[in-house]
Amino acid sequence: MTTTRTGFWGPLLAVAGVGLALFQLWLVWFWVPTEAVQGIIQRIYYIHVPSAWVAFFAFGIVALASIVYLWLGDDRADHLAVAAAEGGIIFTTIVLTTGPLWGKVAWGTYWTWEARLTLTLLLWFIYLGYFMVRNAAPTPEKGRRWAAVVGIAGAVNIPLIHMSVYWFRSLHPLPVVAKPEGPTAPPEMVQTLLLGFLAFTLLFLGLMMLRAGVHRIEHRLRLREVAP
Amino acid sequence: MSYFAMIWEIVRKDLLIEFRTRQRIVVMGAFAVLIGILFSFAIPPGTIRPQDIAAGLVWMTLVFAGILGVGRTFQLEAEDGAFQGLLLTPVPRDAVYLGKVVSNFLLVAVLVALILVVFGAFFQVDYGDHPIALLLTLGFGALGFVGLATLFGAITSGTRLGETLLPVLLFPLLTPMIIFGVSATNRLLAGRPVAEVSGNIRVLAAFALIALASGALLFKTVVDDA
Repeated sequence: MTTTRTGFWGPLLAVAGVGLALFQLWLVWFWVPTEAVQGIIQRIYYIHVPSAWVAFFAFGIVALASIVYLWLGDDRADHLAVAAAEGGIIFTTIVLTTGPLWGKVAWGTYWTWEARLTLTLLLWFIYLGYFMVRNAAPTPEKGRRWAAVVGIAGAVNIPLIHMSVYWFRSLHPLPVVAKPEGPTAPPEMVQTLLLGFLAFTLLFLGLMMLRAGVHRIEHRLRLREVAP
Repeated sequence: MSYFAMIWEIVRKDLLIEFRTRQRIVVMGAFAVLIGILFSFAIPPGTIRPQDIAAGLVWMTLVFAGILGVGRTFQLEAEDGAFQGLLLTPVPRDAVYLGKVVSNFLLVAVLVALILVVFGAFFQVDYGDHPIALLLTLGFGALGFVGLATLFGAITSGTRLGETLLPVLLFPLLTPMIIFGVSATNRLLAGRPVAEVSGNIRVLAAFALIALASGALLFKTVVDDA
């Protein structure tokens, strides 16, 4: 019986995340004031920034779960790692779609070698390598371990990549929310952004747990095929 | 047998194979010279001074030629099961990894020397007044490169895609090496003082250290069967 269940928290968090994300979209379109300098395009910010947070948060989970998997050899940690990577690459793709759209209007170009944009593109390719190693390995067991190695090596290097692309160039707007003297943006903007963080994080966690459940079921079915 | 003696035995074995077959160094060297010839046709004469772009050419040639050689490390031994034999010896996995890194590093060092000589002759590059700083920059960069490429080479040589997968795994993580290595080399070739690049060299050293430490720790999980 248990093989057909994906758990309780996954669906709950996913539904809560979808509900909050829809509510946040309504706020973005109808409630939050239009930014004075950039105009209406700045509204993409409420999707772009929370997605970027989830993209990197997800990779943190991939790395931690990979460490636990290599350490304890527990398959549940691997299911969590691959589910987080699947969610992570989706949100990284959202960042890489919304970023150039915003950039085209705000900076006049789809792509610049701006530090955070570059880092996110590299993150996308690290995720890609994670999945390619997993799928090209001779056995599923090797694929899981090798993917974990890619996840950990990627996470170890991300701070250094971050530092180097920053050093190379930066023309992103400076943070206007997390400043020591308090946010300078109007409260509506801050609230919409914070709700975005909450909605996207819940949505990601829900999707991750659902997918982890799917991987757990697939794993059990595979075990059954080998030893009925 | 002490730890360093074990590493040395791995290095000696790898270098002996390389010395007797000369497979990898010939491929890497030929690649470096041939890409130099192609670069000389690809760069329109008279519009750009080779001196100004030599740093980028040197580093990219190091990466591409290096991947050809380092990616073959494990193929050589996979063919007749020699690597399984190596794993059966009572040598810790991290010693195997570090031995491989040292032998690959020596191979890449020969390659770098060849690149510098050939590009110097082809493009009349003036390597500036600080050869030690230039060699430190290239040396730490090459060490970090070899550290990561050896770890990922062990993974990709076992996959269905083989070495073709190596660039996908390796290139995103090489960003710090290229950014800091090329900028330091550019400055040195432009005759800037060493003080301007000492920060870059420190970052390259940190990159190499991180690559070696993560490689030594993770290599065991890559090659072991369970």
